[in-house]
Amino acid sequence: MTAPALTAGPTRRTSTVFVATAFVAAGAAMLMGSMLAMWLDFRAKAPTRVASDGVSLIKDWLKSDVAIPEVAATTLMITFVIACVMAQWAVYSARRGDKSHTKLALGITMFTGLAIVNAQIALWMQIDLVLRNDAYETMFYAITGTMMAIIVSAVVYSFVAMFRVLAGRGADHDVLRAHALYWYAVTGMFAALWFVVYVQK
Amino acid sequence: MSISVSGAPSGATPSSLATSPLQRLAGWLTTIHHATLGGSLLVASAVWLVVVTAIGVVLGFERFDAGGTVVDADAFVQLFSLHRFALVFGVAGPAMLGLVVWSLPAQLQAANLSLPRLAAFGWWSWLVGSAIVLVSYLGNGGPGGGDAQYVETYLLGLGIVLVALAVIAVSVAATVLTRRNGRALGEVPVGAFAALVTALGLVLTLPVALGTIIYVWLDYVNARVAFGGADLIDAWLGWVVREPHTLLVVVPALGVLADAVVRTAKGRQPLRGVVLVGVGISLSVVASSVTQQAHVFALGDTPTGTLQSFVPYALFNLVPLLAPLIVVLLSLLALRAGTPGISGAFVAAFLGVGMIFTGLVGSAAMHLDALGLVGTVFGEATLVYVVYGAVLTAIGGITLHAGSVTGRALPDGKVVLIALLGFVATVLASLPHYVAGFLDQPANAATGFDDSGLVGVTNLIVALGHGLMLLTVLGFIGLVIASRRGEVLSDRYRLVQPA
Repeated sequence: MTAPALTAGPTRRTSTVFVATAFVAAGAAMLMGSMLAMWLDFRAKAPTRVASDGVSLIKDWLKSDVAIPEVAATTLMITFVIACVMAQWAVYSARRGDKSHTKLALGITMFTGLAIVNAQIALWMQIDLVLRNDAYETMFYAITGTMMAIIVSAVVYSFVAMFRVLAGRGADHDVLRAHALYWYAVTGMFAALWFVVYVQK
Repeated sequence: MSISVSGAPSGATPSSLATSPLQRLAGWLTTIHHATLGGSLLVASAVWLVVVTAIGVVLGFERFDAGGTVVDADAFVQLFSLHRFALVFGVAGPAMLGLVVWSLPAQLQAANLSLPRLAAFGWWSWLVGSAIVLVSYLGNGGPGGGDAQYVETYLLGLGIVLVALAVIAVSVAATVLTRRNGRALGEVPVGAFAALVTALGLVLTLPVALGTIIYVWLDYVNARVAFGGADLIDAWLGWVVREPHTLLVVVPALGVLADAVVRTAKGRQPLRGVVLVGVGISLSVVASSVTQQAHVFALGDTPTGTLQSFVPYALFNLVPLLAPLIVVLLSLLALRAGTPGISGAFVAAFLGVGMIFTGLVGSAAMHLDALGLVGTVFGEATLVYVVYGAVLTAIGGITLHAGSVTGRALPDGKVVLIALLGFVATVLASLPHYVAGFLDQPANAATGFDDSGLVGVTNLIVALGHGLMLLTVLGFIGLVIASRRGEVLSDRYRLVQPA
């Protein structure tokens, strides 16, 4: 007696959207990484000045009359974590075939992204930095503005993913996985920016 | 059994199937077919090559007599800058990516690219961006430009070009990784593997240049205290149009050579894994590029100081040399292992990669402080070597894949003649400036240097070389057009697989 031959299992397909999203995220990470590297280089080469204690010498990089809104910046950082959790919840719900929770998770991800955009604008208004005087101001607005553009792209991604689910393509998990990957990547980029620009200053 | 490497055309119909001129135009404008997109990039790079050779001829004659000037003296900085932009982002980038887009689905036996709309977006964006850059130069913009608005326009155009090439690279990478028809990555043709390497390299390095553009632009329109205005644009962004970064752009050339030799010799590639490693070594350039600076080796006061200078020099200038060297040596081994022969694709690709290697060796030599070549025309020669080498390899690549992509092979003997003409053109357009570099002819200057003796003559020969390269490309274009109208030739590069 011969054992029946096993039929071949389904071929594992590599998701085009997932791969493309990974490459775009890598490109965006290189963009932010290079800008942060130049920021650190300029800061390291900045002249020194006497600190407010009147004794120690510090880099004359961030002007003494400029206060970084640290509460707003840290709130921004925490909000990113919420967006990541929601994006992953969308993947989890879609795998379970739970369309209503998938839509809810994507909706919250998108609105969390909009809240991040709102918080960034509020931070710009609070910091009250005029883009005219020195390298710090130029580089601050360049790097946070670029980060803002990346955040907006993530919000648009959430909108597109939600629109696809609403249109009945919720079974296409690849887009949701790619969407979650992008939010993780954007959060990683902002974490680096938050530490260098808002914490280390 | 013999099979064609070409996949069946996809639902994305090539525009050539449309009938009336208007339909064909509409088809071209909206196409997402890889052959049309890749062909468009190749044709556009040929148009930019005409610009490059014209500038090369003008600069050659200008520098023949350093006393008199035909071009306005204020325009020289921009003319040299335009020459570099056109060589890298007008010719090498679109030619290499165009070749990849055009031939990759056929290499992978896929119907079309992955994300073809993204690739189409990249092509149109590149076209618009490169046109904006050209217009900005004409309006006294660009690096060193005097018109503030056109300088901003230049930065905008350059940014669009970089994003466009990165977008095409994403489509290429996704195609190689997701359309392999069940094959492992190590089993795909070397050309497809090289396409993945160049795509990865461009996705990782072009955003670095984009970040610098954002900084430079915001500084330029505001304080101009951090990045120095228009005069220093090249100082901040020059690395992207210099060696070794240009190697990342021309990596597909290595794949063309490796595939051409196997199909010419009708054998197998010995040490195929080593060839793939050789191509992959090109990615070491990423580490060099992200530092955004040249790494010159200078003898230090102490052995430790010397070592501190040598390690980054070797890592960023010598290691990349291994990529073309390994591929060239193993391609010769493959030719010996199979049925030795000569083909148009092999000759063009072999000479092209040889020129690229020569350019990279020159770049490594230029970064030796003791030779004193930094700031001379030596750097211009290395770039011309690499880019014209890429052009020769593109000719080889088109010859290699023409049969499988279009169904019409090119006449091999004529391609050999064109490749030899291109080889002579490349050597004439570059080698004399290697000599002039040792004679201290300054870079980016057409006046104010000693043009007596050999220096003046070298510039005249360089102008001749650029003119010959124009003839080479025009000859090849004529050959392609003639082959489309003439009788169908048998494709000697047709992939034959055992049953």
